[in-house]
Amino acid sequence: MGIVLHKQPELNKPVMIAGWPGIGNIGLIAVDTLRSQVQAEQFGEIEPWDFFYPKKATIKNGILQELEFPSNKFYYQRLANRDLLFFSGEEQPADSGRMYAEGRKAYQLADLVLDVAAKFGCQRVYTSGAAVSLIHHTQPPRVWAVASRSDLLQEVKSYRTVLMSEVEGRNGQGSITGLNGLLLGVAKKRGFEAVCLMGEIPDYLAGVPFPYPRASQAVLEVLTKLLGIEVNLGVLDVMTAQIDGVINDIYEKFPPEIKERIEPRRLAAQPKPETITEEEVQWMKEHIDELFKRGKGERPS
Amino acid sequence: MSSSREAREKDPLRFWCKPELNRPSLIIGWSVDAGRLGTRVINYLNRKLDGRIFCEIEPADFFPLGGVSIEDDLVQFPESKFYASDVDNLVLFKSAPPNYAWHEFLNLVLDAAERWQVKEIYSLGGMVSPGAHTAPRELVGIFNSPELKVALGQYNLNADLDYETPAGQRPTLNSFLLWAASRRNIAAVNLWVPVPFYLVPMDDPRAQKRVLEFFNRRFDLKLDFTDLDADISRQNEELAEVRSRVPDVDEFIKRLESNLALSTEENQKLATEVENFFREKKT
Repeated sequence: MGIVLHKQPELNKPVMIAGWPGIGNIGLIAVDTLRSQVQAEQFGEIEPWDFFYPKKATIKNGILQELEFPSNKFYYQRLANRDLLFFSGEEQPADSGRMYAEGRKAYQLADLVLDVAAKFGCQRVYTSGAAVSLIHHTQPPRVWAVASRSDLLQEVKSYRTVLMSEVEGRNGQGSITGLNGLLLGVAKKRGFEAVCLMGEIPDYLAGVPFPYPRASQAVLEVLTKLLGIEVNLGVLDVMTAQIDGVINDIYEKFPPEIKERIEPRRLAAQPKPETITEEEVQWMKEHIDELFKRGKGERPS
Repeated sequence: MSSSREAREKDPLRFWCKPELNRPSLIIGWSVDAGRLGTRVINYLNRKLDGRIFCEIEPADFFPLGGVSIEDDLVQFPESKFYASDVDNLVLFKSAPPNYAWHEFLNLVLDAAERWQVKEIYSLGGMVSPGAHTAPRELVGIFNSPELKVALGQYNLNADLDYETPAGQRPTLNSFLLWAASRRNIAAVNLWVPVPFYLVPMDDPRAQKRVLEFFNRRFDLKLDFTDLDADISRQNEELAEVRSRVPDVDEFIKRLESNLALSTEENQKLATEVENFFREKKT
C-alpha cells in the first residue's frame, strides 16, 4: 500500500484540489475540468490494489496480460501566481458495492493523499461535492461552503458562497458523505486548512445516474476566484446543455402530483423547504429507467 | 481476553497442525460458484483423499459479520479452510469469496502458499454457459505463466482464450488471484468449466468430473469415479423426467442441443422450470 511518484516537481506552497465520484459527480467534474484547463501534468499515483477491486482483466492467448484497477492519480501545475496539486480518484474505496467510502480503508486513502500534500508543502486543501437542495433544475445552483476553521469561513464567504448556517432549515448542520467529506476531517486533524465547495443539485435529481455539470460549473466559478486564476468554464456548456435536455425530458414524464410539488420552486427567489416525500423519492428511483426509455433513450455518462 | 482470542486477532491465519508437505500444489475452490463447482470438487477430493483441516483464515477482516444467513434451514457462516491429506503434494483450500479487503485476503492465501513452498496454484470456476447440459464440457485454462501453460499442454485444455472484461462487469476473483500470484512469482492457473445456465444454482456433476479427471491425471490420484458417474446418470434421468413432464423444457433443450439460441424469456422459463423441478424433488 503506497504512493508512487514518477517525478518530484518543485512547488511553492501549492494548494491541493481533490475529487472523487459522488452525487451528480459534481466535485469530480469540477476538479477534472480545472485540472484539464490548467493542463496539469500527472506525476504520481496511489497503488490501488489494497483499496479497490480490479475493473478490467485482459487475457490473450490464455495468459493474463493485465489487470486494471480504478485510477488514483496526482497532478501538478505551476501557474504564475499559484502552484496547484490535484488528486483525482476514479472510485471511492467502498465495501460490498457501497458507493461511498467509509472506515479504515477510506481513512488510509485520505491519509495517503494528504501525505503527498504535506510532502510538497501544501497548506490548504479543497474538495468539492453535491449539496442536495430544494431547488428547481432551471435555477442556477448556489455553492455551499464549509471549512475546517472559522477564519476560513469568512474568506470563502466573500466569494459568493452560502454557509450551511444560511441554508433554510439547516442551522449550520449537515454531513458530507464519502471521501469528499472525509478528506476534510483528516486534513483538519493533520493541521491543514480545508474547504469544501458544494454545488446545489435538486433533491429529485440526487439519485439519477448521470452528472450534473451545471453545479460543477458553479463550483468552479467560486473555486477559480478563490485560487485567483482564470480558466475557460465554457467547456462545460456543451455537457450542461445536453444534460439539461435529458432532465427536461424526464421532468415532463414526472407524475402530476410530484410536478405540482416541485413546480413552485421554479419561480422561488430562495428555495422554500417544500420537499418531496420519501415515497416520491422512492418512486423516482424505481422508475428512472422507465423515464429514460420514454425520454430520448440513452443515458448520458 | 483469552490468549487464544488474542492470537486469532493478531494473525488471521490460524493453524491447527503442521502436516508433512512436499512442494505441494494448491487447489482453490470458492463456495459461490456456478454449479457449486468449487465446493463440490474440493469436497470430493477431501472425501476421497481423507483431507483434514490444518489451517484457516479468520473471517473478521473479510466478511460482514452482522449476523448469519440461512440456507435450506441451515446456518451459513463464511469459512476459509486449508486441507491436507496423505497425498503430500496437494493442499486444498475452500473458501467463501471475501466481501472486501480482497487483496489482503489473497495475500494471506499466498503467504500460506509461500510458507508451504507451493509449486503451482489451481483455482476453479464454473463458467455460465448458454449451451445444453448434454454438450461436451471443455476445460479452459487461464494462466499467469507461459511455462505452466506449456507444462499443462498435454491435458487437453483450451489454453488459447482471448478475453476482455466487458463494460459494466468486473473481473473474477480468480483473475485477481492470478495477478497477485504472478507478483510473487507463483505459477497459477484458473480452470474454468462451462455450466449450463439452467444448472447454475444446483450441482453439475458433469462439470465436476471434467475438473476431477484433470486433477486425477495431473497428480496421479487414482480416483475411482463410479460414485460421480452415478450422480451424472441420476441427474440425466432427472433432467429427462423434467423434459418429459414439461414440453417447453424439452423443446428449449432440444433447440440448445441444435445450437439455436433461446430468447431471454425462454432462458428464464427453462431455468425456473428446472430449478422448481429439482426443488420439489428435494422436498
